[in-house]
Amino acid sequence: MAELNLIGAVNLALRRAMSEDERVIVFGEDVGTSGGVFRATEGLLEAFGPDRVLDTPLAETLIGGLAVGVAAQGFRPVAEIQFMGFVYPALDQMVNHASRLRNRTRGRLSCPMVLRAPFGGGVHAPEHHSESTEAIFAHLPGLRVVIPSTPADAYGLLLSAIRDPDPVVFLEPKRLYRMSTEQVEDDGAGVPLDRCTIRRAGGDLTLVSWGASMVEALAAAEMLAEEGATVEVIDVCTLKPLDRATILESVSRTGRLVIVHEAALTAGFGSEIAASVAEAGLFDLRAPVRRVTGWDTVVPLPRLESHYLPDLTRVLTACREVLTYD
Amino acid sequence: MTDGAGDATFCLPDLGEGLSEAEIVQWHVAPGDRVVADQPLVTVETDKAVVDIPSPRSGVVDACLGEPGDVIEVGQPLLQFAVEAKRPDAGAVVGALPSAASATPSRVAVPAAVSAAESGVRASPRARQRARELSVSLEAVAGTGPEGVIQVSDVESAAAGAGGGERLGGVRRAMARRMTDAHARVVRATVTGEADVSRWSGTGSPMPRLLRALGAAVAAVPRLNAWFDDRAEMLALQSRVNVGIAMETADGLFVPVLEDVAGRTLESLTSELTHLQDAVARRSIRPDQLKGQTISLSNFGAVAGLHAEMVVVPPQVAIVGSGRVFERVVLADGKPTAAQILPLSISFDHRVVTGVEASTFLMALTTDLENDQ
Amino acid sequence: MSAAAGFDISHTAYLGPDGKLLRPLPDALAASETLEAFYRRMVLTRTFDAKAIALQRTGRLGTYASSLGQEAVSVGIAHAMTPDDVLLPSFREHGLQIQRGVKPEEILLFWGGDERGSAFSDQPDDFPVCVTVGGHAPQAAGVALAFKLRSEPRAAVCVFGDGASSKGDVYEAMNVAGVWQLPVLFIVTNNQWAISTPRNKQTAAETLAQKAVGAGIRGEQVDGNDVVAVAEVVGAALARARAGEPSLVECLTYRLGDHTTVDDASRYRDDAEVSGWWQKDPIARLRLYLAENSGWDKVKQEALLGQCASQIEAAAESYLATPPAPPEAIFDHLYAELPEPIAAQRAALLEGNSDG
Repeated sequence: MAELNLIGAVNLALRRAMSEDERVIVFGEDVGTSGGVFRATEGLLEAFGPDRVLDTPLAETLIGGLAVGVAAQGFRPVAEIQFMGFVYPALDQMVNHASRLRNRTRGRLSCPMVLRAPFGGGVHAPEHHSESTEAIFAHLPGLRVVIPSTPADAYGLLLSAIRDPDPVVFLEPKRLYRMSTEQVEDDGAGVPLDRCTIRRAGGDLTLVSWGASMVEALAAAEMLAEEGATVEVIDVCTLKPLDRATILESVSRTGRLVIVHEAALTAGFGSEIAASVAEAGLFDLRAPVRRVTGWDTVVPLPRLESHYLPDLTRVLTACREVLTYD
Repeated sequence: MTDGAGDATFCLPDLGEGLSEAEIVQWHVAPGDRVVADQPLVTVETDKAVVDIPSPRSGVVDACLGEPGDVIEVGQPLLQFAVEAKRPDAGAVVGALPSAASATPSRVAVPAAVSAAESGVRASPRARQRARELSVSLEAVAGTGPEGVIQVSDVESAAAGAGGGERLGGVRRAMARRMTDAHARVVRATVTGEADVSRWSGTGSPMPRLLRALGAAVAAVPRLNAWFDDRAEMLALQSRVNVGIAMETADGLFVPVLEDVAGRTLESLTSELTHLQDAVARRSIRPDQLKGQTISLSNFGAVAGLHAEMVVVPPQVAIVGSGRVFERVVLADGKPTAAQILPLSISFDHRVVTGVEASTFLMALTTDLENDQ
Repeated sequence: MSAAAGFDISHTAYLGPDGKLLRPLPDALAASETLEAFYRRMVLTRTFDAKAIALQRTGRLGTYASSLGQEAVSVGIAHAMTPDDVLLPSFREHGLQIQRGVKPEEILLFWGGDERGSAFSDQPDDFPVCVTVGGHAPQAAGVALAFKLRSEPRAAVCVFGDGASSKGDVYEAMNVAGVWQLPVLFIVTNNQWAISTPRNKQTAAETLAQKAVGAGIRGEQVDGNDVVAVAEVVGAALARARAGEPSLVECLTYRLGDHTTVDDASRYRDDAEVSGWWQKDPIARLRLYLAENSGWDKVKQEALLGQCASQIEAAAESYLATPPAPPEAIFDHLYAELPEPIAAQRAALLEGNSDG
């Protein structure tokens, strides 16, 4: 058992997966010799050798295509895209190939790959390094989108993602990479995919989030508890396929739903959750569903970034409005 | 070996070596295909060999003149080219795009049906569910939520039946709403007067004469027979005078419309009025008979009362009221005499009708009534 | 000033358009049985192609991309590949796919709009056609990487067209192949046209083969209408690839048909140009040679035409007799196991359909 932060947990999971299954290989830019720009793959080259950990040329389309090809041949590639802002050249390989290889060959070929990337803002990064466009991937049939918010979940969800026979986009909230630590047992246990996790139980309001925004969500719940309202905080974990049942069950008890995400409002993944609840949980609602999100703007550069990200104040305001609605 | 370029009919060319005929083995093109010069059209078999016959020119194949197995002689027609037909541009490289012969214009807006009296009830989904569970009619619930939205607590109070009393329904409810709306929008002013109707023969309701006089008054001041769209700030004078006539029943106030009073005889007006009163009494009045009023008339004097300020219901801009006829001593040529006085009131929407217009209308009305026999 | 680097692009041809040899045939390919086999397969390919077009024109096949004129490329590559190699084709190598064990009726199913056309009952590892032009090049590198990591004597063969050669994906794939020494062979079928873009508007490079030079791998050119040249050059390149030396082979040929059955090439190309290439037909030249040198006569020709016709007819009938899959097949093979929310959608589809 070790006290690990999120990036350490990712590293541990990779190490675990690679020692258990020789089909697991890791590649991307600067992942080998350098151990990854965030050190996610630190020590792996030394431990497993250049046949398992490969430094690719600077070519994201290639990284996506390599993963598809090598996965079709039976390997389990874990391909790293250095930042989500650079994933788009690989999007063609994900949407046109990875997500549909099994379908278009009627199961003859499949694509058990993981594409991992750091995502999200709040780290004073230059342009293009604070993307949060998980909704694009969540929209694609045939993919899974998984986002951990704790070190233990990063370990367990990544193991499950690697073991899954279908392609997984694994997005790591970089703001949380080193924010906090917790005990992570290297027991090889995967955290099940396709399931939301209730991080905090409550009865007055359901607060749904994922990734780095879980910090604000949990902080808001803590403050509202002092004001007499118990907030149930749900960590979505797997955006796609979405575990609507857990969210709906919670709303049936609380009657109030607030969704928090960093990504821009329009067509952000919060829309899917809100629509799902409107469809199947309308009569449980005592108040409109509220989304607290980034604005429909380009993510600002560091000087103004704090005005973009949904902060604790905005989350609290939305929660209080919803709590006093009826 | 090629045939004359440009000819529509391509005949089997001389195959050389003294050969005079060939058997068709296999066509490589079909009618409709576009071909270019030298493209193999057909494989034929001679005594010596199996050869491909190339196309002499570019063009579109119209017909292949023979089946596999047929023997064609040199010089006989083998293939027909179409006389200049260009393949229509499909305008695509994949798929088949549907095209419609004509399309319904997409920008035609279907006008919304004008709903009768009731506006939508705003209630939260949970409140609606609760209302269903408790068999509470949402129309009867006052909403205390934001912007008057009905909430669960409101439904539950209503179900507990605070204070009891009559729950408004149907016609009375419609009236409550209509009057509330009118009050909110109309700036009402009222001018009153009297008509000396001593010369009227017969007894009976003044209604037919009032209706006819209304027609005359509108002719004098058409502006009081108009519809005002206060949102668009548009005043539309109405060409016909369709009078809404207030009629009271046990179930509440009805205002059926007597259409096009201008120029109608008293008999015709009387007869129509009777029909409407019967229909209202028997509740067989149709919804379309309750719509389209351009000006209204209330003969509250049939019961009691002289003058009144009445409710002008948008989009109308005026309502005429007649009070109870009474007897009074008046001076005629300086000498006291008895006269029958019919009190008149005109309430109007002062946003679009002036006092002078209303008074002029009153004068025309009064004159018509006083001149009648 | 001295030259920092230079390059040569070789061009190989054996059989000229008139059916006469330009140089002696390579020993391995000189036997008449071998050449007749090439000829049969090219005729079969063209027969299939004509049938597919006929089916499309009669409304029984969807949009189809003809391979007319490119038969020698397909047959030559097929000869050079082994069953253990893996093919990643573009959408115009029907003859090559058929030689690799894909059933003609499966190819018809694909163009007829049925996913089962890519299920390849007799060909486990080959990729389905790549519609996102050039997108399969990085995938070929990935397949080759698998072979290298497993130390298997196999090669990935990625076939694409002149249009694809402008794509970044292709360069990225060649580049990594060179630096990682991957067992992959890239073949560009230069049929001179990418829909309506002629070859000289596609790139300023004098040959497409030299695009390999920028990636650090060998590039060479071959007469793509000379099946012997294709078989020989591709065979040698494959042998090198399996040993970890990737390269690019450019096959010069011509797209005698339209881009697809919905396209009309006469809108943008000169008839005279097309006529000129009919005179370089790969099938005609080999028949001339066989007639002259190995006694190919009308008996054999008729027999061959008959065999091809009945084989392709049977495939067409099999395709036409295949009913569409049931509607719920939309949900099959989406994931290894259909997740519950999507299973609910499947149920909704079934319910909607059962209402009639």
